[in-house]
Amino acid sequence: MINNPLFLLYGILLLGATGYLEYTGRSFSRVNQQRVLPKSIRDNPGAYRSTYGGYSRYIGGK
Amino acid sequence: MSSSLVTPPLVKAKSLSCPNCGAPVELRGFAHTLSAVCPNCLSVLDTSSPELQVLDTFQGKERVQPKIPLGTRGTFNGTVYEVIGFQERSVQSGGDFYSWDEYLLFNPYKGFRYLTEYCGHWNVVRALSRVPETARARGRQAWRLDGRTFAAFDAMTAATSYVIGEFPWQVCRGETVRCEDYISPPYMLSAESTGDEVTWSMGEYWPGSKIWQAFRLAGSPPYAQGVFSNQPSPFAGKIGSAWRTWLWLNVALFVLFLLFTFMKANREVFRQDYVYLSGKSSEAAFVTPPFQLNGGDKNVEVGVHASVDNDWIYLNFALINDETGQTFDFAREVSYYHDSDGTEGSRNNSVVIPSVPGGRYYLRIEPEMSPSSPSTRYEVFVRRDVPIYSYFWIAAMLLLIPPIVVLIRSVKFEGLRWRESDYAPASSGGDD
Repeated sequence: MINNPLFLLYGILLLGATGYLEYTGRSFSRVNQQRVLPKSIRDNPGAYRSTYGGYSRYIGGK
Repeated sequence: MSSSLVTPPLVKAKSLSCPNCGAPVELRGFAHTLSAVCPNCLSVLDTSSPELQVLDTFQGKERVQPKIPLGTRGTFNGTVYEVIGFQERSVQSGGDFYSWDEYLLFNPYKGFRYLTEYCGHWNVVRALSRVPETARARGRQAWRLDGRTFAAFDAMTAATSYVIGEFPWQVCRGETVRCEDYISPPYMLSAESTGDEVTWSMGEYWPGSKIWQAFRLAGSPPYAQGVFSNQPSPFAGKIGSAWRTWLWLNVALFVLFLLFTFMKANREVFRQDYVYLSGKSSEAAFVTPPFQLNGGDKNVEVGVHASVDNDWIYLNFALINDETGQTFDFAREVSYYHDSDGTEGSRNNSVVIPSVPGGRYYLRIEPEMSPSSPSTRYEVFVRRDVPIYSYFWIAAMLLLIPPIVVLIRSVKFEGLRWRESDYAPASSGGDD
């Protein structure tokens, strides 16, 4: 391994990044977050309009 | 043997006059050489007799200046050699002339060595006193010596086109010799034949900088162009080493994978079946019963399995903290199609939400389907602190890049080497 110090460094950084992403639970999923939402939503879910618009629905198919 | 034993004393070269032009001719090889070339008129003189008979006179107009002047001393493997002769050899190939330089080196205790140079590539050559064993390599006849197999590289008829200095044979301009080269980098085995006589020699590739260092020459050596036949590959041994490094890094990655697989709670906190009733383009949003997400900021996976068949269902989700109102909005579609050509899509889909604080949560779900869709059953589940395996797959793929790059560069280097060979593979082309 010592013959490939750059590869070794690259591999260690890659493993470190993998471990960091896994440890923090980060994901590439697109999620919107809102801080404040009235508790009345629980009783009237239809009153809430989702602000999420990033996921485009697939309209293809066979 | 110490270097003091093989360092020739600094004796003055024997000086005689050229019988053709009268210019002084210095003899450095003493009784070991049979011919010398007058540096002034370039007549070839017979040094075996004191009269210095003229063997050949120079008719050409162009003089070649050796890159290492005659009389220069250099140290090779602890032995001091002096440059006493220089010849240029040329070969004709398809209407083109190629030439290379050969220097004759002499040490009175060790004898002769040769130094060859072509386009900045150098070889230190010694004559062999034994004949190599026959072998086969790359589908052709090869030779075996000292545990190495030498593959056939090229064969040519070379002519001496220019000569200066002394030689241990009666040198003659225009003299031709049949040369066959076999390689096992950094070594080259050469067979030179004239008539029935075959002389074997072994060359070892030396970079120009080492030659300049050995002779303590000023300036820098000529730039080495292209890849020479027995030039050692800078990637030799690196391919195996790169794959070994790749293997160890993958072992480390697998350990990391196991570590996180066991470390992560990966606990299901909610699972519920629902039915989307047919005949509606959208259904009223609803909320799930609350569920507890334990621990600090950890990820949450929300997954859907829908029994769609050549159809789709689109689900708007909001993960809402029942106590603080903190909301995570996202959406997922499940679509699955199939026919005689195969399948497309999947009946499963999920999303991983990073860094969700602990607390009591519920889901707001707003499903959509085509109005023509039949009633469809779908299942929603929530898992806390899940491992994300895709990171490990991506890392494993990225770890492949360096050894593949080394492999490609090594193959390219060998391609450049064999492109110059008479026995180049068809894809390498042999005329460049």
